[in-house]
Amino acid sequence: MTKTSTISPPKSSGFWREAWHRYRKRRLSMLALAFVGMLAVVAIAAPMIAGTKPIVCRFQGHIYFPCLGYYNPSWENPIFRAADVYPDYAAKLKQADPDSWAVYPLVFQDPYHRVRADEWPGRPGNPWGSEGTPSAQNYFGTTNVGYDVFAQMVHGTQIAMSVGFVSMGIAALIGITVGALAGYFGGWVDILLSRLIEVVMCVPTLVLILVLVAFLDNVTNWHLMAVIGCVSWTGIARLTRAEFLKLKQMEFVAAARAVGASPLRIMFRHMLRNALAPVLVPISFGIASAILVEASLSFLGFGASPPNPSWGTLLHAGQNDIEKMWWLIVFPGVAIFLTVLAYNLIGEGLQEATDPRLRQDSH
Amino acid sequence: MTAYIIRRLGVGLITLLLITCLIYGLLRAMPGSPIAADQANVNPSKQISKQALDQYKRLYGLDKPWYMAYATWLGNLAQFDLGRSFKQNNRPVFSLILERMPATLLLSVTSLVLTYLLSIPLGLWATAHDGTVAERGVSVLLYMLYSLPSFVAALYLQLLFYVKLGWLPLFGMTSDGFGEMSLPGQAWDLLKHSILPIACFTYVSLAYYSRFVRANMQEVVRQDYIRTAKAYGIGPRRILWHHAFRNTLIPMVTLLGLTLPSLLSGAVILERIFVWPGMGSLFLDSIRTHDYNVVMGLTLMFSVLTLAGQLLADILYAVVDPRVSYS
Repeated sequence: MTKTSTISPPKSSGFWREAWHRYRKRRLSMLALAFVGMLAVVAIAAPMIAGTKPIVCRFQGHIYFPCLGYYNPSWENPIFRAADVYPDYAAKLKQADPDSWAVYPLVFQDPYHRVRADEWPGRPGNPWGSEGTPSAQNYFGTTNVGYDVFAQMVHGTQIAMSVGFVSMGIAALIGITVGALAGYFGGWVDILLSRLIEVVMCVPTLVLILVLVAFLDNVTNWHLMAVIGCVSWTGIARLTRAEFLKLKQMEFVAAARAVGASPLRIMFRHMLRNALAPVLVPISFGIASAILVEASLSFLGFGASPPNPSWGTLLHAGQNDIEKMWWLIVFPGVAIFLTVLAYNLIGEGLQEATDPRLRQDSH
Repeated sequence: MTAYIIRRLGVGLITLLLITCLIYGLLRAMPGSPIAADQANVNPSKQISKQALDQYKRLYGLDKPWYMAYATWLGNLAQFDLGRSFKQNNRPVFSLILERMPATLLLSVTSLVLTYLLSIPLGLWATAHDGTVAERGVSVLLYMLYSLPSFVAALYLQLLFYVKLGWLPLFGMTSDGFGEMSLPGQAWDLLKHSILPIACFTYVSLAYYSRFVRANMQEVVRQDYIRTAKAYGIGPRRILWHHAFRNTLIPMVTLLGLTLPSLLSGAVILERIFVWPGMGSLFLDSIRTHDYNVVMGLTLMFSVLTLAGQLLADILYAVVDPRVSYS
């Protein structure tokens, strides 16, 4: 009487789990992912890293978070204006209320104004022009008018990150929809949409964006994101279309159709999840190029209206003073380069982790 | 083949129509007219009378709805008339563009030739020395160059060669007093001014192409016929050049079509940095001054070049690869 041990087949790990496993093996891609993660943290926590408004303070018996004013001016409690503390918290908070306390950001510098002498009691004001070399007080130097470059770059991270994600979100939405419709329905829908893709592809992107942006009166970064998203979806659409053409022939699609699922349900519930992996690759490269486009627009002077602490704006200022102020070029340039490099590495890692053809090649 | 080309040309024409229609509509829909912008910016006290304003508007078709004006524009285009510039002394747009074209072509054609000349040996070298330390180093360097935005590179090069070393001029195409120089002096002057822009134009595509050559070669050298050639005792050099490389030519050709638009976008930024009197600078200037006709003419120009590049790539594709036929 031997116990029959039930033989259970080894559970095969899912596609994403396996892809993640392969991705993790690429050390450079992991490093790039960590770098982008760090940038995201810097972007979200920018007012807590560099600013002149307390992160948290106790004033007249209540706790306030004045640093939220960097995200949205209306989130800063009006009580500080009424008490004449705003915007000189460091100097005036104690005078207005002797019992108050405050926790300040790591670096007491502001992206939107020059820190004057004694704004932080006992500290000299920021130098400006060619005097503003990198120093212990201004890590990356100051601009022409004495704004701190480090603070601008920390707050500029918000622009770079949000431009990348939002514009590619828009592009992915348009691209996946167009590609899915063209690939699934085929026929005249496909012909029409494919022509549309070709037309948009034929216009040099930067030319189209410049034409669109240059004629707006008051450009915000949201305008830029919308415009970039609306012209850079073609690659995603072409790939989605190709994937859907392939998937359309599969049995599970026929099965779904047989049980009477609607086309929309088949496309976006059953097929899309199988087409998603290859589509992620152009999205990652697209984020890199969106960041690049925003930086070049700001650099050309067609970016968001001031105040706009974008990395490209700093480069623009640096170009005008190239003979005296090298720090306006070197630091933002490195930031743009590393960010683009990181997204390219992530895209490449994704490609190798999710593409079955490359997998067989690798051993 | 001829039928294919004719069909492609037809599709291209329709595409151009759609693009220009789209851009024309968008331009007109944007707030601000060229005349108003001019008044406000240049001299607020110098107001044009209402009558003169109407006359201007009639002259440039601004009094008509945009689709009527677009139809007029198309009609003129059929007679190779792109209209006149609002801002540059009423000069014909066509001659303005022609005047700026050589400067842009000098940069883009030179860089395209350089790219092909350099990237193929580089890619072949990388294949031959696959896995060595030197090859890994070069590959990493090329990958980083590929991610380095050209305008950042341009600024870094200016910092190095103008501010720090003082070897090369900062910008412009020629020095003052270019006319009085001797011919070799003129050539030397032009060369000195164009080194940095050409380097910036070239390095991105160089990095991309040589990676591309290498990736294709790696695919090809695994093929059976390469093993057969090795078995026959053919030298590695001959295998690489004669047997493997010829088969990577096909994807190389398609790249040509993809490079043109990026060269043109690059021209807009790089010409601005180096104050190079080409079409890119003209484009930026006319966008800034709301000079519709020039913007339209240049957009048309850019789109035509892009389409031509794609068509050329497709035709070359059939020429290079006997398996591809369009009949």
